[in-house]
Amino acid sequence: MIKIIQQREKCIGCNYCVEVAPDRWAMSKKDGKSVLIGSKDKKGFHAVDVSEVELDANKKAADLCPVKIIQVIQK
Amino acid sequence: MKDKIEVMAPAGSFEAFMAAIQGGADSIYFGVDQLNMRARAANNFLLEDLPEIGRIAREHNVKTYVTLNTILYDHDISIMKRIIDSIKENGLTAIIAADHAAIQYAFTKGVEVHLSTQVNVTNLETVKFYAMFSDVIVLSRELSLKQIKDITDGIKRENVRGPKGELVRIEIFAHGALCMAVSGKCYLSLHTANSSANRGACQQNCRRTYKVIDLEDGHELEIDNEYIMSPKDLCTINFLDEVIASGVTVLKLEGRGRAPEYVKTVTKCYREAVDAYLDDTFTDEKLQDWMNRLETVYNRGFWSGYYLGQKLGEWTNKHGSSATTRKIFLGKGVRYFPKVKVAEFILETHKLKIGDEILIIGPTTGVVETTITEIRVDDKQVDEVGKGISFSIPLEETIRSSDKIYKVVPAND
Repeated sequence: MIKIIQQREKCIGCNYCVEVAPDRWAMSKKDGKSVLIGSKDKKGFHAVDVSEVELDANKKAADLCPVKIIQVIQK
Repeated sequence: MKDKIEVMAPAGSFEAFMAAIQGGADSIYFGVDQLNMRARAANNFLLEDLPEIGRIAREHNVKTYVTLNTILYDHDISIMKRIIDSIKENGLTAIIAADHAAIQYAFTKGVEVHLSTQVNVTNLETVKFYAMFSDVIVLSRELSLKQIKDITDGIKRENVRGPKGELVRIEIFAHGALCMAVSGKCYLSLHTANSSANRGACQQNCRRTYKVIDLEDGHELEIDNEYIMSPKDLCTINFLDEVIASGVTVLKLEGRGRAPEYVKTVTKCYREAVDAYLDDTFTDEKLQDWMNRLETVYNRGFWSGYYLGQKLGEWTNKHGSSATTRKIFLGKGVRYFPKVKVAEFILETHKLKIGDEILIIGPTTGVVETTITEIRVDDKQVDEVGKGISFSIPLEETIRSSDKIYKVVPAND
């Protein structure tokens, strides 16, 4: 299992996470920020546990994020 | 008759917004949420802040401009529209836009459009094109004053009018940071850090030091300044008469990321300078005073930009600011006693003594500058107070518990 966390408020809507991990990320049409699909909001930190299969794509998303608000933790 | 000149100040917080008003700004510009050129910074207002901003602006009779000037993707359109709708609802004055989607939407909603420098307008024909949508056009930062005058003369000669029916007004950057890229359209940050300057996420690569190495033989070239891409800050106050004579009627002061005291100092200097120009009371002594005051707040050294026709930029030779002063945090506001005009504070760190210059900064207070003439602790006069002590000082301006108090010290202290 891995945990993906996004500090959503700081997102600037650049779309990189969606480009590299489209199964886990989508752009919100409402506020123009990215949405971590399946996540729950805990005081601004949106988190979801997913399988290892998604590790590479989401690590890439974390690396590419210009405002460094994505964290991928291997459990 | 001389045209009215608008002094336009930046704000990245309510503190800076109030400071701009105190400095005498005619108009204030700021970002909302992420669709502006300072998206990375924490210096943006929220959509929910717009009613309060509208209220303060009406109370103080200042115009308000929302920067909405990044490039826009499809997923941004909805939030862009919500911001523009909210601007209209809350009676703010205009948006500063670069992307045609924002220009078009605001235009159809009857919200005034100002054209961002990001559009890189450099000639009269382009001004005529954008005049269909826009009442104020910010020219490219790289034009000379002569080129600017040709454009403003052309607007009068050819009667180029904006949607409001008035002659299109021309705005230029008058003071503050400049970057090395043409009209801010820079890709360095995107290439090195995936962080697009054009989405407001500039990593400021140009502000760092670089070595130049000959890859063929590995020799490091001798250069006398490693800040090879970091321009000094723009300052036009020393040739403001020429700037105004070029037909420019809006002077933009850069600095949405700057502290409230920066905003107040710079705005006040330019306000005084513009007024002195209009009253024919501009003197060398006043100019020297303005220059001294501008140097007290954040700056990378000053140069005149491209307005006087220099071929190349002037580069700074150090990292960060050359300001002659800096502020250190002392403590917080406690309460104000209006009848006796006394302000009470708690000193959380350092010492404060008679003769110290202080700043009081807060979201409603803005920036209050004063020199300590009297300190009282438990109603007894003292010369100095230390950490942890509540004290009071005589003060004309009201302070609040949301205020912070700072001491102004020489930068090298």
